[in-house]
Amino acid sequence: MNWFLDLILRTHLRTQLYLGLGFAVALTFIASLVALVSFQRVGEAQRVVNEGSVPNIAAAFLVAQDAQALAGAAPRMTVAQTEEILRDAVKEISERRVAFTVHVDALAGTEGENPATEGVRTRGRELLSNLDAIEDSAVERFVLAGRSQELRDTLRTVEADLTALLVTAIDDQLFYALTGHRDLQSPPAPREVHFTTAEVKKYRRIAELYDAAAIGTQVLANAFSFADRAQLEPLRERFEASTGQIERNLRALRNDPIVKPLVPMFDQLINLSVSAVGIFAIRESELDLETRQRSLLVNNRRIATDLIADVESLVSTAREGALKATTESLGTITTSSRVLIVLNIVSIAGAFLIAWGFVGKVLLRRLEKLSGWMHRMSKGDLESKVEIRGADEVAEMAAALEVFRRHALEVQRLNLVEKLADELKGKNDELESVLDDLRTAQGQIVMREKLAALGELTAGVAHEIKNPLNFVKNFSEVSEELIEELDEILPEEGGDFGDDQLDEVRDICQDLTENLKLIRQHGDRANRIVHDMLKMGRDAGDRYEVEVNLLVKEHANLAYHSARAADSNFQLDLIEDFGEDVGNLECIPQDLARVILNLVSNACYATDVKRKESSDGFAPTVRLETRRDEERIMIRVHDNGNGMPPEVQEKIFNPFFTTKPTNQGTGLGLSLSNDIVREHGGQLRVESKEGEYTIMSIDLPLQRVEVPVAAEMAS
Amino acid sequence: MNRRAYLLGLATLALLGAPYARAQLPYVSEDRILFGQSAALSGPSADLGNGMRIGIQAAFREVNRRGGVHGRRLELKSVDDAYEPEQAIVNTRALIEDPEDPVFALIGAVGTPTSRSAAPVAAEAGVPYVAPFTGAELLRGTNWENVVNLRSSYYQETERIVNYLIYTLGITRIAVLHQEDSYGNAGLFGVRRALTNLSMPLFGTSSYTRNTTAVKTSVLDLQETGADAVVLVGAYKPVAATILWARRIGFNPVFMTISFSGGYALARELGREGKGVYVTQVVPFPTSGARIATKYRRALAAHSRSTKPGFVSFEGYLAGRLAIVGLERAGRDASRGAFLNSLLRSDPIDIDGFKLEFAPGDNQGSDAVFLTMIQADGSYRPLSMSNEAESE
Repeated sequence: MNWFLDLILRTHLRTQLYLGLGFAVALTFIASLVALVSFQRVGEAQRVVNEGSVPNIAAAFLVAQDAQALAGAAPRMTVAQTEEILRDAVKEISERRVAFTVHVDALAGTEGENPATEGVRTRGRELLSNLDAIEDSAVERFVLAGRSQELRDTLRTVEADLTALLVTAIDDQLFYALTGHRDLQSPPAPREVHFTTAEVKKYRRIAELYDAAAIGTQVLANAFSFADRAQLEPLRERFEASTGQIERNLRALRNDPIVKPLVPMFDQLINLSVSAVGIFAIRESELDLETRQRSLLVNNRRIATDLIADVESLVSTAREGALKATTESLGTITTSSRVLIVLNIVSIAGAFLIAWGFVGKVLLRRLEKLSGWMHRMSKGDLESKVEIRGADEVAEMAAALEVFRRHALEVQRLNLVEKLADELKGKNDELESVLDDLRTAQGQIVMREKLAALGELTAGVAHEIKNPLNFVKNFSEVSEELIEELDEILPEEGGDFGDDQLDEVRDICQDLTENLKLIRQHGDRANRIVHDMLKMGRDAGDRYEVEVNLLVKEHANLAYHSARAADSNFQLDLIEDFGEDVGNLECIPQDLARVILNLVSNACYATDVKRKESSDGFAPTVRLETRRDEERIMIRVHDNGNGMPPEVQEKIFNPFFTTKPTNQGTGLGLSLSNDIVREHGGQLRVESKEGEYTIMSIDLPLQRVEVPVAAEMAS
Repeated sequence: MNRRAYLLGLATLALLGAPYARAQLPYVSEDRILFGQSAALSGPSADLGNGMRIGIQAAFREVNRRGGVHGRRLELKSVDDAYEPEQAIVNTRALIEDPEDPVFALIGAVGTPTSRSAAPVAAEAGVPYVAPFTGAELLRGTNWENVVNLRSSYYQETERIVNYLIYTLGITRIAVLHQEDSYGNAGLFGVRRALTNLSMPLFGTSSYTRNTTAVKTSVLDLQETGADAVVLVGAYKPVAATILWARRIGFNPVFMTISFSGGYALARELGREGKGVYVTQVVPFPTSGARIATKYRRALAAHSRSTKPGFVSFEGYLAGRLAIVGLERAGRDASRGAFLNSLLRSDPIDIDGFKLEFAPGDNQGSDAVFLTMIQADGSYRPLSMSNEAESE
């Protein structure tokens, strides 16, 4: 693959693209050609199906469907209950008929005129004419039914009229024959007139007429209910018998007034029977019609069945043609699809190769690389070298970028050096002047702090001095009294001392000696205090050994008394917990004393603040601790004041940081103390819990350590 | 169901009913309710059909003048069946199935054979069949969902006749002349039953053909039996003919007939010969001072000034009033079923003093039978106010 990649990279990008696209287009073209050829072949096969078999099958199917529907719909015409239903049926059938004719023609058109289609045509014509006959018969049935109903109605009226007339006539005749009464108004006829054979015979005639009329109407009514045409004949026979009876009796009664209204009624009755549109004729027509309809329907079904059989044979021929064509086209489709699949695979592989192998792997990756370099350069990274393999446009761009990078790198370096030099000089000058200012300020500050500390101490110092001075005063007064005693003991003028007097003088002298010794000691102490104070005010101190416990004790006292002097309410329990083996330490005593003063003053201040804030029960306590181990001496100032939060603890050694109200602190105390302890090679640490306590610890090494920088800064 | 649940149910029904009410029942229009009548308006019983029609119309006109029932006018559509069952069926069907204007209910049919044919047609369609002018048992009892009878039965009338003949007149030789059909047989059976209850035989029977007046030979038959009283069960014309011919040939028993044949038409047909003929009636005396009679006469006069008060139109008037009560009780937008329920399954009805009471299994409202007698001048005379008063 590498040789191929190299080969490609050696050509221009344009050439690479054209080559790739050309390859893809060529593959697509080949695929299209294959598809085109296949489609033509399938189309050819399908045309055979379309033009030959499918239309045949479709037309045949439609013809069969129509025939089936027509055969099925025909009975609807014969059983229609109302003329409206019949009209609907006829309408639907006639639509079907039109469709049927069209489909038969279509079938003949696709199939061509041959004996098979001719057969279908003939049968179709038969079916249609049969349907015509059925329709005619259905219409006729309704005409007949209408007429039939009319006849029934007439029959009922005639029957009712005849009954009413004849029943009354019989009643009248019998009543007359028996009583001689004709009507209510006239007087009765004499017996020889009404009770005669003639009147009895007349009664019989009328009764016979009534019977005949009843039988005749019943026979005619029966005609409507008989479904068998053959049975109409016996009915006719019986009605004719009744007619004979009627005619005979009417003839016999022809001169009687009763006959007059009866004749038209009987005429009507007879006419109902014998007329060409009478009950028998209509019933015969109806029954004939039913028979005819049945045979027409049978015929209809037969024709439809034959027609469907013909159509089916046509269909099976067409189906064979279609099957063959379909098989061919299926073969073509299979072959073509295989070729197309192969081409597709090749085409997809080609496209993938172009996309992945060239655009992705070669072009895009290289461009990304280039862009990466540009990004890095824009961010100032000019160090890494731009390098892209190949000889195409990307490689050229990379080469150009590399040139650009080198130029940029050089320019940048030059600029940087110049700029740095200038800046450095300016900064240096600035720093020097600042340093000067700082030195001046520092000197002033240290002095101020010393003076401030001194000021703070004044009260304490005064007390410390007052204390020995009081001693001195007291012992001096006692001594004066002793001297007065002594003077009293001494005799007025040269007398002798007694032994008692002598012992007394000796005792007084001894006391005086003690007093003077104490006076000297206290004087020394006052002297030392003043000395110390003076030393504290001086700039630099000499190192010498001092007793640590004593130093701590005296300066703690100074701080304590200073605080008491400032506030008469001040209370404190100052506990001394001094290690007995602490001993001496070589140090700068006045500096260390300043540290002790500072720490104890702070402790006093902290407990006093808390005392003022809290209610009764708080006992302000400061414990002083000194310890010694093999390497160092530890001094701890422990107070139960308000303590400090961590953020304050962090800052307490910063110069000018103070938590005291304005004008009460310089903010330099702890800063300088820290400097002093470090100057002694030691460490000043703080440990505190807010609201509870603060412990300030000083660790001082026994071996002297030089700390030159701190010393310089501190001075 | 307690009262609360019942009210809740009513409220729910009302809610459900509200939208339904706007969707009109097909047989009720917004401003009108149509009743149908198929009756004999021609032929030998024409006076009955016409009398019923006029009475119903008088009642309807009376209520319509007051704004109708629940805002709807009542109308009557009458068609002639000439007392023929076949025609009654055709008419009833036409009235119910009229696509334009179907009737809400049928009312005031006349006759037993016609009613027995038409009532099933109405029953099948669920149409009420109100106050047919017949007392036949066929239309009484539990078989009918849709028939509302107003009047007493023929059994009750014939029983009344028999009791009166035996207990009041002391006559035991009783014969029957009946129409040869279900009506005539109902009367015949009623007489026979009443006599059997008293362990007495029927003295003789005779009949005539319906829709004819061929009664004369039957009169001879009755004369031969030697009966002292003849109960006539027929239409008014043959009944009149019977009495006239009997009198003509000197056969003069006590003639008694029942309401169906004995209206003013009968008296008219009989003329002076009507004197002494007893007739049972199922409505109070039309010209009496009873509140209902006064109301009837006023309504009749308002409707048709020329028509004289009579038993038949009085019964028609009562039929109309009964229908009005049913509609009023059923409420607006009532269905046919609700109408029937409001009559057949509710409290006793009092139409201006004429009391009707229906009960499950009893679809006959009145049990009143009034005995009257025709006067020489053709008028009627009441003999008693009611059968209860008599039987004591």
